[in-house]
Amino acid sequence: MATEDARYRESSQYRLWSFSPTQLSALREKTNAAARARISDRLLSHPLPATSSRDLSAPTSNANTPDPDGNGNSTPALPEFLTPAEELTLVGFYISETLRASEMLHYADEIKATAAMFLKRFYITNSIMTYPPQEMLIVALFFACKVESGHVNLSEYTKTFNKSPEEVLAGEFLLCQGLRFAFDVKHPFRALRGAMMELASLKDMQADLKRLDAAEARARKILQFSPLMTDAYFHYTPSQIMLAALSLADRGLAERLIQETFHFVAMEGNSADTPGANGGAGEGNNNKNRANEEKAAIIGSHLRDKVLGAVEACRDMLSRELPERKEHWTNKPFIKTQITPLRKKLLKCKDPERWNLVELQRVRRQQKLDSDDEDDGGRKVKKEEDGDVFGGELGHSAKKRKVTVKEEDPFGEPLRKVTVKKEEDPFGGML
Amino acid sequence: MTSRKPPTTSSRGGGVTPAPTTTSSGLPTLSSDDMCPVCKTIRYLNRDMEFLINPECYHSMCSACVNRLFNEGPNQCPYAGCHRTLRRKGFRSAFFGDLSVEREVDIRRRVSQVFNQAEDDFQTLRDYNNYLQMVEDLTFDLVNGDEATKRKAEGELQQWEAEHKADIERNKRVGREQDEQSRRRLAAEREAARQRRLDAIKEAEEEKLEKIKIREAEIDNLERGGALPDQQRVQLKRRGKQAVDAAANLATSASITTTTAATDSVGKLSIRGLKEKKKEPKPEGPYDPFGGLDLQPSRYKIHPGLKHPSVEKYRLDQGHVTGGYSFEEYTSRAMFEAFAGLGVFIEDEKEVGVGLSASEVVGMGAAMAAVGGDGMDLD
Repeated sequence: MATEDARYRESSQYRLWSFSPTQLSALREKTNAAARARISDRLLSHPLPATSSRDLSAPTSNANTPDPDGNGNSTPALPEFLTPAEELTLVGFYISETLRASEMLHYADEIKATAAMFLKRFYITNSIMTYPPQEMLIVALFFACKVESGHVNLSEYTKTFNKSPEEVLAGEFLLCQGLRFAFDVKHPFRALRGAMMELASLKDMQADLKRLDAAEARARKILQFSPLMTDAYFHYTPSQIMLAALSLADRGLAERLIQETFHFVAMEGNSADTPGANGGAGEGNNNKNRANEEKAAIIGSHLRDKVLGAVEACRDMLSRELPERKEHWTNKPFIKTQITPLRKKLLKCKDPERWNLVELQRVRRQQKLDSDDEDDGGRKVKKEEDGDVFGGELGHSAKKRKVTVKEEDPFGEPLRKVTVKKEEDPFGGML
Repeated sequence: MTSRKPPTTSSRGGGVTPAPTTTSSGLPTLSSDDMCPVCKTIRYLNRDMEFLINPECYHSMCSACVNRLFNEGPNQCPYAGCHRTLRRKGFRSAFFGDLSVEREVDIRRRVSQVFNQAEDDFQTLRDYNNYLQMVEDLTFDLVNGDEATKRKAEGELQQWEAEHKADIERNKRVGREQDEQSRRRLAAEREAARQRRLDAIKEAEEEKLEKIKIREAEIDNLERGGALPDQQRVQLKRRGKQAVDAAANLATSASITTTTAATDSVGKLSIRGLKEKKKEPKPEGPYDPFGGLDLQPSRYKIHPGLKHPSVEKYRLDQGHVTGGYSFEEYTSRAMFEAFAGLGVFIEDEKEVGVGLSASEVVGMGAAMAAVGGDGMDLD
């Protein structure tokens, strides 16, 4: 029996990207610890970033895997690292930036949400100290357009962000790896439509269509912001998120829908087989019983309370980031007091080898080429190459530091072009 | 029944002792076919001389010697150094001129009687090939091995024979039956062919007779000056009747053959080399791309009342309708997404597994602990 739940359990979102809250926080802490260990290792092996290259013995490949026994003996030379909570705040900020950017570009809801989730997922297993969030944001948004089949022209896209195409493409494969190649993000937007259809088809709701419209509009607004800013996508299924948003918009409607779906399944077998039931009839009743039991397991009343509980918990989570908080993430005092210090801190404790995506991609390609030809000369070249990387990279990042500190708003410039026209496409880019 | 003829030079033409080849020492050597090594009689003296061997040791001697030495019961082989006891019964004439070949054929016959499994007895062709290899190795040891390996192989063979007596008997019987069957089939075919030939001859003769009769009738008719066309019609009619008769005969005979084929399908087939047909596989029905997956929704029903105002306007839009877009697809997808995963509780499932909630597991653990405690108390 392929119930809807069983089919959802097959999705990559459930298999790879669903966690319980404790698992998720443990994962984030582990990522943070691994990044700390690795970055302090790197900084210690090249103690003075200003000087040019030295002997490079630290391995550059396989650094994606967390290093469990990295020595954490921090010397005074090491900068102060971000804590997991601080990382989370920064990720939240960059996701709000993602949403703002895609809003400016008038992207579809699905693209916005997918980009935000890509960024969120990526920074679960990768620390924000390892890869630059601002660059990854642009990469994630571009890649989300591809995934949700809203094609954008790369050169036009990069023009809006004042980037070069290489900078976007350099991070793409990295992003895919971080996503564990699970590109399908299941969103609650279409589910909301389904719920509305179901509610509108109920007899007594026919007179109240205005209420439905209002609830849908509000719920959609919530879905566009709240689940993306919280961890709802990791802890709840799209339908639960949808019901929670609906419940925030109009509690009565959400409860009505759950009541309609999960109800008491009568056991008809017991009453029917009492008068003169022969074997065949008994067997038929048994089958009926089993079918009823199965039915009860899918839509029985005992599930109703559990679903209500899950929706309620999700509602609590969403209510912490209602769409009204959109302004909170962008208001100047908040950024000045909360975000700017964190970003300054981040620039001090970033991973010197990973921060420049273009350079990183070039080095990796070079290593691949070098490992292909095994002769001694090739190895020597590689070593020098790596040394070069550090010289070049540090100069570059020093320049960048100046720039990034100066400009407060990454999307401050006026955006000229609307790439994807999308107002009310009910099919969400399906066509 | 046949005496071995000398293969090369014949001493038949009379003449003195044949000396076909001369060795380097100059001594004339006699072919073993021409001189009995026991009594030194040469074929020149005894035209009917016949050489016999005993499969015990494959030493050949003339029939006169065999009669002389073994008439009074078992005796030792007269060859120097050969101490085998031979019986008269065991002597026979060799089929091959080369006695080593004769011996090998005998051994092979014996081995094949013991190892008489057919290919059908094995699960895979590989197994059968391995078996054949094993048998061949054993045979080679028996034929060409030195004394020790020969004895060892012989022991193995006897052991196998003793252990698998029943199997061997059964296989032998099956083999015999098969031989019998094929023999009978061949005989039946030959018989049928003969019958057909006879029938054909008979038919030809009948036709001839008929022709003659018709001709005579015609002549009679002419004599009487009767009407020729009428006669012709008769003739045509007769021919037509013949054809009808022949067709009827054919039909009846065909039905007979089919019935006989149905009654005793064993051993009466007339086509050689046909493998037995496997039973027709049952009709499978139409192909199911989902492999029996039930995609019927269980939490909701798709009904035409499901509508959404912002979808409705597309229903009237030529651009969407002409493209062949199915609005039912959108409806069913939206409904599926609205209800899929409602009963999936990620926190519980990721922590403890599908179908259990964390609190239940804790309760179970407590219950088990309680039971364990009880058991301890009882002990």
